[in-house]
Amino acid sequence: MSNTLEGFSSSASTFNADMDFAFWMHIWVSVALFLSVVVPMFYFAWKYRADKVKNEEIGTLTHHTALEITWTVIPIIAVMFFFYYGNTTMKMFRTMPAESQSIVIDVEGSKWKWKYEYPANKAGHVHKIGGVYKKPTIDENGKVVEAGSMGISALYVPVNTNIILKMTAPVNDVIHSYYVPAFRMKEDVVPGRTTKQWFNASKVGEYDVECAEYCGTDHSYMYSKIVVMEKDAYEKWFEGAAEDTPKGNFAKDGKALYAQNGCASCHSIDSDATLVGPSLKGIGSKYDSQYLSDAVTNPDKDVPEGFYPGIMPAFKLSPEDLATLVKYMETGK
Amino acid sequence: MSKSYFDETHCAIGHPKSTFMQWMLTIDHKRIGIMYAAVMFTFFFVAVFTALAMRIELFAPGGQYMDGDTFNQAFTLHGVIMIFLFIIPGIPAVFGNIVMPLMIGAKDVSFPRLNWFTFWLYIAGCCIALASLFIGEGVADTGWTFYAPYSLNTGTNVIMALVAAFVLGMASILTGLNFLVTIHRLRAPGMTFFKMPLFVWGIYATAWIQLLATPVVGITLILAIMEKYFGIGIFDPAKGGDPVLFQHLFWIYSHPAVYLMILPAFGIMSEIIPTFSRKEIFGYRTIALSSASIAGIGYLVWGHHLYTSGMSDIAKTVFSFLTFFVAIPTGVKFYDWVATMYKGKIVLSTPMIWALGTIITFAIGGITGITITMIGLDIHLQDTYYTVAHFHYAILGGVVFLMFAGMHYWFPLVTGKMYNETKAKIAFYLQFVGFNLLWFPMFIAGYYGMPRRYFDYLPEFEIYHQISFFGALIFIAGLIYMFWVFFKGWTKGEAATPNPWNATTLEWHLPTSPPPLENHSKVPYVDFDPYEYHQGEPVVKFNYETMQRID
Ligand code: HEC
Ligand code: HEM
Ligand SMILES: [Cu+2]
Repeated sequence: MSNTLEGFSSSASTFNADMDFAFWMHIWVSVALFLSVVVPMFYFAWKYRADKVKNEEIGTLTHHTALEITWTVIPIIAVMFFFYYGNTTMKMFRTMPAESQSIVIDVEGSKWKWKYEYPANKAGHVHKIGGVYKKPTIDENGKVVEAGSMGISALYVPVNTNIILKMTAPVNDVIHSYYVPAFRMKEDVVPGRTTKQWFNASKVGEYDVECAEYCGTDHSYMYSKIVVMEKDAYEKWFEGAAEDTPKGNFAKDGKALYAQNGCASCHSIDSDATLVGPSLKGIGSKYDSQYLSDAVTNPDKDVPEGFYPGIMPAFKLSPEDLATLVKYMETGK
Repeated sequence: MSKSYFDETHCAIGHPKSTFMQWMLTIDHKRIGIMYAAVMFTFFFVAVFTALAMRIELFAPGGQYMDGDTFNQAFTLHGVIMIFLFIIPGIPAVFGNIVMPLMIGAKDVSFPRLNWFTFWLYIAGCCIALASLFIGEGVADTGWTFYAPYSLNTGTNVIMALVAAFVLGMASILTGLNFLVTIHRLRAPGMTFFKMPLFVWGIYATAWIQLLATPVVGITLILAIMEKYFGIGIFDPAKGGDPVLFQHLFWIYSHPAVYLMILPAFGIMSEIIPTFSRKEIFGYRTIALSSASIAGIGYLVWGHHLYTSGMSDIAKTVFSFLTFFVAIPTGVKFYDWVATMYKGKIVLSTPMIWALGTIITFAIGGITGITITMIGLDIHLQDTYYTVAHFHYAILGGVVFLMFAGMHYWFPLVTGKMYNETKAKIAFYLQFVGFNLLWFPMFIAGYYGMPRRYFDYLPEFEIYHQISFFGALIFIAGLIYMFWVFFKGWTKGEAATPNPWNATTLEWHLPTSPPPLENHSKVPYVDFDPYEYHQGEPVVKFNYETMQRID
């Protein structure tokens, strides 16, 4: 069946053909079984309706061995097929390829963001993507010791390559589930445990990732994207060190950006409460948008009274995101 | 005028004069059943309107009327009420109480006072459950499954919720015990197990589940208390516990609970189909024994809720295999019911169209359950709307629909009045159409990757949620109309005769309608099968004074 849903391609990964076969085989067999119940039901209800049947004509059939064996054995056979295909598809998901022939990426799920850590590249640089913005560590001389991460979470992978995800959540977090509808796969991400899943994407494109295990307030915003790239484009990005996110960002709207970048942990926006930073409630009426966007990209420029510079990290956002975020602060939308 | 059970009653303590106290203290199984129904349906409507609120929020992507937290509380409230307060007591509490003793020719259950106590235990459990949702930092937002560690490190009162589940579970155990003893000890002489009506078989199988599965709730509670107050790490990974253990314990109880809901519902189906086909049921023994075997295998399949929780592949395979073997006896029953209609004389009264409608909806619920028993497919569909649609088809389109069928069927027995059939049928069609519009689109949304428990979603899913919303409106309109028709029937309907449907089982052979306090005038002798018809007429006829056969 073809469909136009973004991020739900019927050939996005090596799993899809087998999965779709198992699903539709089961559906069509089930439709046949369903009809074998419902069609006679309607037919009998019509054929033997009360005003057409004389009392003497009522039958007395209460057993029919051959029939009973048939309608027991046929469903058993059908069910054995279902069991078989359920199992082979499970094996396909659960049989991890050799790590030597795959890219192994660490995934961390925590409320409400996904974070990816790649193996070191040739230059020894480790790409870390996602999670809440992490401030770069800077030594006394202002030299960057450790780069921060962008807070925008997308997983970049090359096409036609085995990718193994080693997933975990911090012990004081909750269970999440890494779900990629386009690849028909998910596996829970359990605090204090490491679970694994793998895939091999067959088509360049962008696919949605959703959290499928309920995890609280922003469960519905715990998205990510898998960006499947041509191999050389991937290599080029991977071997570089400068830019963590080669493509745009995939946050949904101002509110989601606000949550994903961790602004909420330092600023309240619905109330006047002062957390780490000042409340942003009604800030749109105090300052213009230029001030607000500067406050995000270069927070130490103007420091409001009673607060200190150096606490709020400088955010590196794409122009569109910045505009969305500023609009959100101004209008609440 | 002879007196009915509405005019006089036995009480647990003393002989109160006021009608109100007579109801509060009544030990009559019929009155207790009615009281369960009154409380349960009050909760049911609360949960239905919570669901409507969710549907309104889901009408468009983005947050409109509620924020994420409110939505999370809404589905928790909806799920907890629907499952623990409404459908788990469900059919046994209402019709097991009202009809089962009548069907076996007993004057009441074996332990009427215990039955009274159980009802009030249920009420206490409801109060604790509601309190646990509202005490603490607002209404709980854990979902009805209370998964650890989420439930442990939010402000939610898991211990109290578990205490509620435990008290409600205790009520369930005592009901099961009472029914088991009743069925073993109080069957009318001559009524062997294979002469019992199939509804009694359903209640009997259910009673065993209630008795054997519910104690697991107690174990879970004790473990949670040890963790919370003694700091022993059991579920919380931060203390070295295993959160998945909680899921196992939860489903060891909650999965058999699914069969505890459906088996009595199948019993209702097996009463209605032969009565309105005017013909003996096809495959009586198969249906009876398949209920028993479902109750047995049902304990061993809980793992199918944990296919994506990191369980070992071998365990998954075994659980999947066993689950398929619950599906077979269930499927076979469908053929038995349809075969019963063959060469019958089909009377399409309201109970019958409810039953036939349910064959369709429950079959869809069952088939989509098979989809997610296939492990590979479940890896895709678990925790999506496909699963949510599946269990609404099974529980709402199966259990609740059959409960409604039973309500239409036994309405004249319980109230002595008749509702307006035409209007009742309109209510059925509204609900049937509304229900399918409400839940069928969700299979498609789920297949395309709409996760459950999302208050905001990707715009691709909008169309499905909008159809679903209109379905919900139609469904709820039909639901309210149905209760209105009942209300009108009870207050203004025509008086019903003791056996308005020409049925064969003993609850239709009472001297008066509604029945007198102690049911049949004499204990009948049962030397006949439950559904004996000859040329469209019940074979067995009684003199209702002496309960001697006069056919
Ligand atoms: C680690 C805590 C922290 C995080 C995370 C944080 N901020 Fe701040 N923010 C502060 C502090 C402290 C100040 C006041 C000092 C300053 O201006 O540097 C501030 C100031 C501001 C101001 C200026 C307020 C005024 O009244 O002048 C704005 C606007 C702002 N933050 C927006 C944001 C946005 C948008 C985000 C998310 C992208 C964010 N902040 C993330 C701590 C934080
Ligand atoms: C009026 C008809 C009903 C409607 C419109 C309805 C709607 C919903 C909706 C929108 C959800 C939330 C799904 C999600 O976000 O994941 C839900 C969940 C649920 N419903 Fe219903 N429902 C109805 C009837 C029932 C009935 C009769 C039952 C059982 C007796 C039931 C049991 C549940 C359960 C157990 C959940 C899961 C709650 C959770 O995720 O914790 N529902 N329903
Ligand atoms: Cu999550």
